Amino acid sequence: MTDTAMEAAALGRRFGRDGDWALWDCTFRLPAGRVCAIVGPNGAGKSTLLAHAAGLLRPTEGTVTVLGTTPAEARERLAYVAQDKPLYPQLSIAETLRMGRELNPGRWDQGVAERIVADGDLDPHARVRTLSGGQRTRVALALALGKRPELLLLDEPMADLDPLARHQLMGVLMADAAENGTTVVMSSHVIAELEDACDHLLLIGGGHVRLAGPLDDLLAAHVLVTGQDGDLDPHTVVESRTTGRQLTALIRPNGPIDEAWQTAEPSLEELVLAHLRSPEAPVLTLTGEDEADAFEADEQEADAEEADAEEADAEEADAEETTV
Amino acid sequence: MTSLTASSTATRPSRGPRGPRGLLWTVLRLHRPVLIAWAVATAAAAGFLVRLYALGDEARAGQSACGSPGTGLPPCSAVDAITADTTYGNGLSLMATAMSWLVFPVAAWAGAALIGRELESGTADLAWTQSVTPTRWLAARLAVPAVLIASGTGVLVLLYDWARLDGNPDLTGDWYYSEVFLATGPAAVAYALAGLALGVLAGMLTRRALPAGGLGFTASLVLYLVLDHYREDLRPVVTRINPITPDLPRSAWQTETEWGTGMTTTFHPQSHRWPLHLMETGIVLAVAVTATVAAFALLRRRTA
Repeated sequence: MTDTAMEAAALGRRFGRDGDWALWDCTFRLPAGRVCAIVGPNGAGKSTLLAHAAGLLRPTEGTVTVLGTTPAEARERLAYVAQDKPLYPQLSIAETLRMGRELNPGRWDQGVAERIVADGDLDPHARVRTLSGGQRTRVALALALGKRPELLLLDEPMADLDPLARHQLMGVLMADAAENGTTVVMSSHVIAELEDACDHLLLIGGGHVRLAGPLDDLLAAHVLVTGQDGDLDPHTVVESRTTGRQLTALIRPNGPIDEAWQTAEPSLEELVLAHLRSPEAPVLTLTGEDEADAFEADEQEADAEEADAEEADAEEADAEETTV
Repeated sequence: MTSLTASSTATRPSRGPRGPRGLLWTVLRLHRPVLIAWAVATAAAAGFLVRLYALGDEARAGQSACGSPGTGLPPCSAVDAITADTTYGNGLSLMATAMSWLVFPVAAWAGAALIGRELESGTADLAWTQSVTPTRWLAARLAVPAVLIASGTGVLVLLYDWARLDGNPDLTGDWYYSEVFLATGPAAVAYALAGLALGVLAGMLTRRALPAGGLGFTASLVLYLVLDHYREDLRPVVTRINPITPDLPRSAWQTETEWGTGMTTTFHPQSHRWPLHLMETGIVLAVAVTATVAAFALLRRRTA
């Protein structure tokens, strides 16, 4: 038994011999049982990272470990839904599920898969080629969940869904994950849909991990300050904007904040957007498990961060009782 | 849908549906149309060969001489069978061509539909993230068509040989005609299998349906033309120097004639047919194996 669902060590991937690096020096660790959001701009490397975890791509350098072993060894215990939801167009929905059964002997749960299809009012005899994008997503998720995975990798799972179906499928996904302790890793553009569902965040930009850690810890490690233009030392400024004489900044506090500033905890969206707008902001990786594990790319901040992480741990422990 | 939900709530017994399981079921189901087409085409070809066999004796009777009234020969109009030998000869020639050219559509299909389309559309990724390894996935995609192609073509080769009866070269074509040469033995099967392997390799290389189909077709065409050109060199020829006339045995495959002190003729006697045929079969099978090994190597390099 392992308590790490997914781990990358200096993972790098280059397409072609002289191509650009889609991923470089990615290092992070995702504990089991989490629902992790991978966010980042288009072309950041989210899909490449998920494909590596699914064992579909071989790293150019470094390693990726899932469920305590290589992705190839873990094949039976993970499920993956690619961004364009590939399915065989000539099969009916029922035949697609039959394929799931045939290719996952000993693991397949027909009931789970059929229920997801039935909830979408889909005719099992309809050919996949006749389905809309959202309906395909539903069938792809049914195929993935029917496998009873320990790790579920979803690349932009909700992009094709209308808000109602999105809400319903997200609910199915979260209920299933909570019930079975499945670790879910999903990439998304829609930050709002992640806020309620996810408890772990991986922010990728330019092929590199920019932020990683438990969502609550990451939020707690940042403060949104507003006030008259002034000095923000010794804090790490992620992003600051000035409107007239008013300054708004997202900072990682190092020590107490001057009382002249109005402070607020940032929302997930504010946290993500600030980091996306400031590619030069130092990398922050929190493990949120053991304070000794917490490591900081920007060393001068380490002490303050650890204190914050510790505090957040306590909060999270409380929160965990009520989530699910 | 109601039946689906009903069956899911009932305690489902562990036994699944009857018939093929696992990857075998997947390959057969995904390629069901082409499987049916292959079965129908093989059955039709087999039926046609049986009909040609039945026509064989009549066709040989039609080979008898005929003449205009007064020559002492039966009148040509009376020899109804005169059309039988044309039908018989053309039919056998058609079948020989179809069997020896099977390699081309097989290669194009294997490249485009069997492999290229799956890699292009991402359904290969879908299969590889079920509980089967990419290696097993490719093995099934090679093995199932290979068995069906080899058995179908094998039966046709046997029927073709049988329908040729005595192999009278005037009716059935001489042994060294390219199509006849290939269709009368295991080379026909070897070529079809090489087409499959080359198509699969083309699919792994291009990862897209149309280019893979084109590349598979081209590669098999090159294989066919190169071996057709060098076939006579696969075994040393017999040389005969004759001062006046070549005086070759019947059905000798004459490869070169030179005038010098006499007439020097090099040729393959009919006894060279099997050695030549088996040599070519071996080469084609070696190409098939090499392409298969290369396809697996590419797959292993690309996936974890």
